Amino acid sequence: MTEKFFGKAVKRVEDPRFITGAGNYTDDIVLHNMTYAAMVRSPYAHAKINSIDASAALALPGVLAVLTGKDLVAAGINPIPPGWLLPDLKISAHHAIQPDKVTHVGNIVAAVIAETRAIAEDAAALVDVDYEMLPAVALGSTALAEGAPQVHELAPGNVAFKWEIGDSAAVDAEFAHAFKTVEVKLRNQRLVPNAIEPRSSLADYKRAGDEYTLYTTSQNPHIHRVMLGAFIMGIPEHKLRIVSPDVGGGFGSKIFQYPEEVIVLFASKKLNRPVKWTATRSESFVSDAQGRDHETVAEMCVDADHKVLALRVKTIANLGAYLTTFAPAVPTYLYGTLMNGTYKWKAIHCHVTGTYTNTVGVDAYRGAGRPEATYVLERIMSRMALELGVDPLEFRRKNFIQPDEFPYQTPVALQYDSGNYEPAMDKAMAMLDYAGLRAKQAEGRKNGKYIGIGVSTYLEACGLAPSALVGSLGAQAGQWESALVRVSATGKVEVLTGSHSHGQGHETAFAQVVADELQIPMEDVSIVHGDTARLPHGWGTYGSRSAPVGLSAIKMASDKINDKAKKIAAHLLEASVDDIVHEDGKYQVKGVPEKSKSFFDIALMAHLAHNYPADLEPGLEATHFYDPKNFVYPFGTHLAVVEVDANTGHIQLIRYVCVDDCGPIINPLIVEGQVHGGVAQGMGQALLENTVYDDNGQLTSGSYLEYTMPRADNMVQLEIGHTVTPSPHNPLGVKGIGEAGTISSTAAIANAVIDALEPFGVKHLDMPYTPEKVWRAISASLPQAADD
Amino acid sequence: MAQVVAVTMTVNGVKSTHHPEPRTLLVHYLREKLGLTGTHVGCDTSQCGSCTVHVDGMAIKSCTMFAVQAEGANVTTIEGMGEIGHLHALQTGFWEEHGLQCGFCTPGMIMSSADLLSHNPNPSESEIRHALEGNFCRCTGYHNIVKAVQNAAHSMAQSAMAQAADD
Amino acid sequence: MLLEGSHFIHSPPSRVFALLNDPDVLSRCVPGVKSLVLDGTDSYKAQVEVAIGPVKGKFDGKIAITEKVQDQSMTLKVEFKSPVGIANALGTLKLEPENDGTTVHWAGEPQLMGMIASVGARLIGGVAKVQADLFFSKLELEAQKVES
Ligand code: FES
Ligand code: FES
Repeated sequence: MTEKFFGKAVKRVEDPRFITGAGNYTDDIVLHNMTYAAMVRSPYAHAKINSIDASAALALPGVLAVLTGKDLVAAGINPIPPGWLLPDLKISAHHAIQPDKVTHVGNIVAAVIAETRAIAEDAAALVDVDYEMLPAVALGSTALAEGAPQVHELAPGNVAFKWEIGDSAAVDAEFAHAFKTVEVKLRNQRLVPNAIEPRSSLADYKRAGDEYTLYTTSQNPHIHRVMLGAFIMGIPEHKLRIVSPDVGGGFGSKIFQYPEEVIVLFASKKLNRPVKWTATRSESFVSDAQGRDHETVAEMCVDADHKVLALRVKTIANLGAYLTTFAPAVPTYLYGTLMNGTYKWKAIHCHVTGTYTNTVGVDAYRGAGRPEATYVLERIMSRMALELGVDPLEFRRKNFIQPDEFPYQTPVALQYDSGNYEPAMDKAMAMLDYAGLRAKQAEGRKNGKYIGIGVSTYLEACGLAPSALVGSLGAQAGQWESALVRVSATGKVEVLTGSHSHGQGHETAFAQVVADELQIPMEDVSIVHGDTARLPHGWGTYGSRSAPVGLSAIKMASDKINDKAKKIAAHLLEASVDDIVHEDGKYQVKGVPEKSKSFFDIALMAHLAHNYPADLEPGLEATHFYDPKNFVYPFGTHLAVVEVDANTGHIQLIRYVCVDDCGPIINPLIVEGQVHGGVAQGMGQALLENTVYDDNGQLTSGSYLEYTMPRADNMVQLEIGHTVTPSPHNPLGVKGIGEAGTISSTAAIANAVIDALEPFGVKHLDMPYTPEKVWRAISASLPQAADD
Repeated sequence: MAQVVAVTMTVNGVKSTHHPEPRTLLVHYLREKLGLTGTHVGCDTSQCGSCTVHVDGMAIKSCTMFAVQAEGANVTTIEGMGEIGHLHALQTGFWEEHGLQCGFCTPGMIMSSADLLSHNPNPSESEIRHALEGNFCRCTGYHNIVKAVQNAAHSMAQSAMAQAADD
Repeated sequence: MLLEGSHFIHSPPSRVFALLNDPDVLSRCVPGVKSLVLDGTDSYKAQVEVAIGPVKGKFDGKIAITEKVQDQSMTLKVEFKSPVGIANALGTLKLEPENDGTTVHWAGEPQLMGMIASVGARLIGGVAKVQADLFFSKLELEAQKVES
């Protein structure tokens, strides 16, 4: 038997370079004759640019150029377009360098190129921009109010789009005969993704061949090639190579097409030298696309048996000043369609107004729309349970879609292909000792010890996505994935994938699958990603699509290799192809193990073609483009336990149990790692992180002094379990796991906090649950001390 | 051109002299003058710990000091901790326990953890969490980082015992 | 955010008022001042160096004195610009005779923009208080110096 790798906790093959400091991140790359760019950014949230005086900057020794928006416009550089369209979408022109107006703090007004980073930064400070300040608006609901400042003339009332899904009349009809209804008003605060590696881009234009190379911190180099090449700069795609080397985390923020990438490419050609730009963290805070930022009113109703009837959701989604790459899709198709969760609703209606404000653009951040939907749904489910006086888990259990009801058509477009929700819940409850803990909680409350138990029985749709479906919904991109499996003459295998790894461990997990498929040692397989010059086209990594889509393509390409290998073996063994089996690492005649050829024999003969089937091409490589038939639907139950210090308002997470169903697990180390990181990010939203803009659109939480990131001592060791319900439609049955932790944990922890505060009569608080906020809520509930 | 100063320091056992601008931070000196790009820059407010190195045996955020302040110092970076085949126990621990994902925070994490283990060879979970407060990781939720440090503490204790038995 | 405070100077209001209108005195007292020159009546051009937390910058700006009531009060309009952002403020100074001196009540509402807002906004209160303490302690010295 050859060794099987699927399911094994194989140590990651990418780690040796990272643990020895040999990683190759964009800012580590040094090219001969390299120059540096620094951006001049607007300090105003909204202003007209009257004039720019670059003379002092240009006078500084070592400064090579100062670029303005007018230079780019004159050179025919187009604004950066969004990658998803909605009906009647008002699209603001997002220039890489703004030529005449700025609409958020951090908007680029000029770029300085110099011999060193320090000189570029010094010179940027000398660029004198004369602005005329305009009134600004930062909050979505404020932007929609009568008389609010106008961010873009083309979007009256600051409305970028209005979108709805579901049947509002059917919802009204259910509410009309409901036994009980509840309403919640929720603010899903804005977050800054904060990958620890700041964005960086290095452009290298070569006059010979008129070719550009861009090294950049990207989750999806091919998307940049399409956007930069075809839409923004007019460069033929084969003359534009995008390399995304080691990337220090993305979480969505490195999906998008950013202005700085346009600027360094443009400058590199202009100066005929490589140009590098690397963000400072302060720049990241005002230029990386941010996440969430919803204001929502949701109502639900149940019948007398506590069966859920209808859900009505109205959301204002703050999009910031520009539509970044997937901005229109996140609060719509990745949000409204997720409102059904794991429950059997009779009707759902969700209405979303996307608004422009004078803030940084908002786009996908880990989970992208699905955490926002899960937060609404799981908060209102727990609130209803509280109002009904029933256990929140039993209330959910009663409303689950049953295993025999799949495929299940939801009222909000998605058709779930599989699911089995109760076992995950049962397992989580057992792991936590739910009943025991509820008893302890009741006991503790008598002694002034307040713990809270929160639940989220989430479902997500990921593995983006069937191309025809997303195309019909407005995507300007396909969502299939490609793979090329190339076998060398010595039997070493190079696998080129359009998926991108920036922490997810593809070099390991994908190699495990290929090694199994080809029945060869893992060390004979190399996974290559992140270079458009080497790979077929691909769409990159986001929406938890790498395993269900990218890896499916690899599996299918590997199947093609095996099919061809069998033909070669049949020829060499003088047998019929139908009699060749692939066993024990050999292609052998069925029942005659001594008549066999090794993978090496086949690879060599494919390259020599000396003794070879007449009708077969030489070589051994296969490409596959895999377009999924549906999303995949991971689900699970997360249970969070927090303790509130009633004197200080401090909340500590004390236990976290999660049972996820992401189908068969390729590498448990990697899957659990994804869950750990995802849960920590969701915890960050619930307890710590907040992006604060003042009324003038000034970001006042633009550094790690103010933006509270989860640190080691905010987390506990997580307790993780799994159930396995394979996806019925992809060849490995795998489902995504990269976002599940974040999607579920925010709601679970929020529910735990509100549960802990129940004795104080607190039914709702907006996140993050900072000590001050919690303390105020507790204080407000306490009876005032009598005067006497 | 800008004024420069001569700085001599020993980094990972190799002594060298370079001429940075006086305002050059140690982290930029290491990355740009010495090409030691394993030390990373994750912030500009000294909060993230990605730049942690050892200066004269103590963990320090190399973005908080100027290169000239390290004149004459002995500096160790991640590149000096060990290499494949001769890994430091912490490097092995991070690898075995999957204590890294994107790897960007990892060098700083390893350098800070090494400092911890040098004065507390057997730290509790909460001591580890506390000691790593100055290092951000956005990927791992710290779960496996804690395990990695425990793993290293354990293997260091075992090899110390083996050493003692040999003596 | 409204910032305010008061300081006692051992000198009568008329003297304090005169000091507060003397560019030379001001350039000695304003913390971090690099230059401060009169630029028309009741209007100054100034360059100051300020650090708010991790953000440090050289600010160029104008200070205009409006609504001056001799020996009693004045209103200041301050507009400063720097590579790290913009700081504008409208402030008032009220002089109140008290025992054998003057209590100066100051109040102002700064508006910060750009990096000083994103990185330093929450620190401005503390910074302003320290700067005011420094300013008034130097002003006290000036008051003594001139009188002696
Ligand atoms: S780079 Fe963030 S602490 Fe040094
Ligand atoms: S592994 Fe990515 S930041 Fe720690």
